[in-house]
Amino acid sequence: MIENIDIAKCTGCGICDLVCPADVIHMEPAPHADEVPGLRQVGLLPVIKFREHCITCFSCEIFCPEQIVDVHPSVKNRPRPW
Amino acid sequence: MPAIEGVLIDTDVLVIGAGAGGLLAALSAKRHGPPGTRVTLVDSWLIGRTGHTAFSNAWKIVVAPDDDLDGILREIVAGNDGIADQVLVREVLASSYARLKDFESIGMKFAREEDGRYKRRPTRGLDLARVLYPEGGGLEFSWLLRRALEAEGVQLIDRLFVTGLLGGGGGRIAGAVGIHSRTGEFHAIKARATIVATNAITFRSGFVRDITGTGTLLAYRAGASLRNAEFSYVRPGTPKFYFEGITFAIQEGAHFVNAKGEAFMRAYEPEWADEADVPRIARAMALENEKGNVPLYLDMSAIPEELRDYFIQSKVKWMDYFFRKLGNEARTDMFGKTPYYALNQMTKMAIRTGADCRSDVPGLLAAGLAQAGCANHFAGFHIGLCVGNGWIAGRSAVEDLEALPPPRLDAGEIRALHAEATGPRDEAAKPESDLILRDLQAVMFAYNVGILKRGDRLETARRQVQALAARFEALAAPHTHELVRLKETEAMLLAARFILGASLMRTESRLSHFREDYDARDDAHWLVWVDIARGNDGPCFTTTPVPTPLCSVAPLTRRPSRLDAHSGAVPVSPVTGSGVDVPG
Repeated sequence: MIENIDIAKCTGCGICDLVCPADVIHMEPAPHADEVPGLRQVGLLPVIKFREHCITCFSCEIFCPEQIVDVHPSVKNRPRPW
Repeated sequence: MPAIEGVLIDTDVLVIGAGAGGLLAALSAKRHGPPGTRVTLVDSWLIGRTGHTAFSNAWKIVVAPDDDLDGILREIVAGNDGIADQVLVREVLASSYARLKDFESIGMKFAREEDGRYKRRPTRGLDLARVLYPEGGGLEFSWLLRRALEAEGVQLIDRLFVTGLLGGGGGRIAGAVGIHSRTGEFHAIKARATIVATNAITFRSGFVRDITGTGTLLAYRAGASLRNAEFSYVRPGTPKFYFEGITFAIQEGAHFVNAKGEAFMRAYEPEWADEADVPRIARAMALENEKGNVPLYLDMSAIPEELRDYFIQSKVKWMDYFFRKLGNEARTDMFGKTPYYALNQMTKMAIRTGADCRSDVPGLLAAGLAQAGCANHFAGFHIGLCVGNGWIAGRSAVEDLEALPPPRLDAGEIRALHAEATGPRDEAAKPESDLILRDLQAVMFAYNVGILKRGDRLETARRQVQALAARFEALAAPHTHELVRLKETEAMLLAARFILGASLMRTESRLSHFREDYDARDDAHWLVWVDIARGNDGPCFTTTPVPTPLCSVAPLTRRPSRLDAHSGAVPVSPVTGSGVDVPG
């Protein structure tokens, strides 16, 4: 499951959002979006929006050009037949 | 009547779903079509980075020119207990080498020996067939195909979740509608031929390739028949980590053991033992559970030390990350004893078509695992079949462009589909589809419903699913993310109903369908498909005899086991293989 994105080092390229096959990461306006009233902020940063739906495919971590995404390999709550 | 806002796209061939089946269908349609043929491929997520294919090893059975084509057909048919479209399977096998060359022409590289010959591996449950594996696994396979489609002018639409097929009132399918899976924006796509390639339905088993395939249910609602609902892909899994490579591990000396330390597979499958195909392993595991012999394990301790890194340092990128991060824990778990059980990964329910991949509804075709060519795919014929039937579907779709009347759009139908696609929404609602899913999993993953079936238990499960469907009716989505999941859950509930209905109907045991109360295979009565069509009062279950024009469906007596041959002392090298090598 995705654990963390080191936002301080993020360039906002959006690749992690693009490659996620489970809609877990969303690019959203950076915190300083209202710096100049009236100007629309185009700089976006990733937010882990639906962590519980991560399928641990590692795509965000594999394709992040800055290598700042951390996915933990633990498997949780896997259904069982008995 | 509220106004519709959205996007309208006009195309010739629409392909829905970008796993191996959809990617190949789009490529085939472009290459078979006359210049200017418009081909559009849509997927819920990023084409080339999604679908079961992208997260697989992308192994595929390839029949080389000197291989025994009819022998391989015979063993695949036998390995399906007869439930296979022989004509389709034969064409898929016969064309597999040409597809291999197509893949190489777009830059794909397949593992080779130092002398240039392909590395080929045997696969579980089959003696003659050999698999090839591309470098970079499914991610590279899918991405190179995306690049090839872009280069050939195929229109790619990412993040479009298809919610319905267009009938248009013309007695044919006229395209599809859907929503952008992030923004929720409505899209209508008018198409002269529509290929559904959205995989089979899963119940989100938790495996990494955990992507639901809803297109089969859309086809059902549009008038197509479904089949093979009583069969499933139940594979050994562990709660601790994901492991792609059990087939190879067994070839190197791994075996399943029970809590008493007994290598139990030999008792259930005297000929195949641990090399048996997954339906038979699943059944044996469930019976061991009945005997109180759990937990079960995959004991990999017999794998020689020098080969162990092969399984840790996978060629599949996500697995490489996975095991590297698990570190010593992975090594200890994998090569000690890690608990295993049998978990249903997906139903084999798919769209009924002819060997040409055309469904019963004009203008609607099927490819990939959404097409019911087989009820069992071994390790290597999942993608092998998808590659082949994708190619066939694309060719047939192009033939239909001129043969069928042009599609028409019906504004009233689109309004109705728009309302359905964009609702139910309620910003104040809680996202609760996961609660329904959890309870549905508890019903459908139970070993005594999904693996060891019995009439009374299937009836009980059916009532439980009906109750869940009633609970589901009250749900609404606060955002698009939940709206997509709601629709996927709705499809799973319908699929569960079909699986249980077909399982009740087939009063025999065959392949992955094992009935305790009818525990023998009965070819006299049940060499048939159970077909499911939409009737006036709900789903209608009928049977269709399986034709056998090319070969017998009788079980095969296998050759002496490869494991017996080397007794585990002389391992089959994972880098040299034991198959017949052919020149590249």
